[in-house]
Amino acid sequence: MNRVNLEQKVLSENDRIAAELRQRFVKNDILCLNLISSPGAGKTSLLERTLEGFAAESRGGPHVAVLTGDIQTDNDAARLARFGFPVRQITTGGTCHLDARMITHALEGWRLEDFDLLFIENVGNLVCPACYDLGEAAKIVVLSTAEGEDKPLKYPSIFFKSALLVLNKIDLLPHVPFDLPAARANARRVHPEMEIVEVSCATSEGLNAWRQWIEQQRKELSARMIAGIA
Amino acid sequence: MHELGIANSVLDAVLAETRRHLGALPVKVAVRVGEFAGVNPEALAFGFEILTSKTEWERLRLEVERTSGDELELAYLELEEP
Repeated sequence: MNRVNLEQKVLSENDRIAAELRQRFVKNDILCLNLISSPGAGKTSLLERTLEGFAAESRGGPHVAVLTGDIQTDNDAARLARFGFPVRQITTGGTCHLDARMITHALEGWRLEDFDLLFIENVGNLVCPACYDLGEAAKIVVLSTAEGEDKPLKYPSIFFKSALLVLNKIDLLPHVPFDLPAARANARRVHPEMEIVEVSCATSEGLNAWRQWIEQQRKELSARMIAGIA
Repeated sequence: MHELGIANSVLDAVLAETRRHLGALPVKVAVRVGEFAGVNPEALAFGFEILTSKTEWERLRLEVERTSGDELELAYLELEEP
């Protein structure tokens, strides 16, 4: 019997493509953010409010592009295209997550140097998308108050791997049994350094903090690019 | 649900390594799955079984070692050599 040490990542092919994507994003000074949540937590609503805000800035605002993934339909792309930014739908046809190859294909024909910010809206699923690196600068997990505050404990992988938690639908807090301090504590139990913003896409409350977080990431990316360490 | 694809990636790596050993038959592959990897070991084992049953690799066994981080890595491969 011959035992051979392999010592490699299982998803080495995905990771290789993701590394290529990350290099392209950094070279073009694009901040790429990968949004993940369960279905209905409000990823598309968050992007709608975000794009609406950027569109209102007209000149001076970032040039944004969006890739949005779903198993079926291009409903989300239609919702997001209303704001005038380039949007492409990735229809996975049953696959429960996006992988790096799908992103490479979806970007074909776009001039990356025209963009500052790329949002990837993953398929609604708290499990599988956690495994797949898409070349993003950060994963962001969205959790809504219509869900349980124990989600970070039930789905620790995605909370462990996400830099930011967006707690959405805070306008519903008076009407739902969601325990906000417990949700924060659960998230930080899994990921002590996790940053948290609390927002309502219905009332726009908290969206400034979300925008500031994005701006901070863009500054850090540019600083890393200038320092040549990205 | 993604474990079938991950099992397939494990088998891709087994195939690549086995090809480097003329006439060898893979009998065991060990994978490290962290608690935050987002991979269910039972579902991975099930996917692995589906992909290998009734093939020349039917005897190939998957060993999963649970670890504490988010790693999803191939540890080693055991080959029966002629």
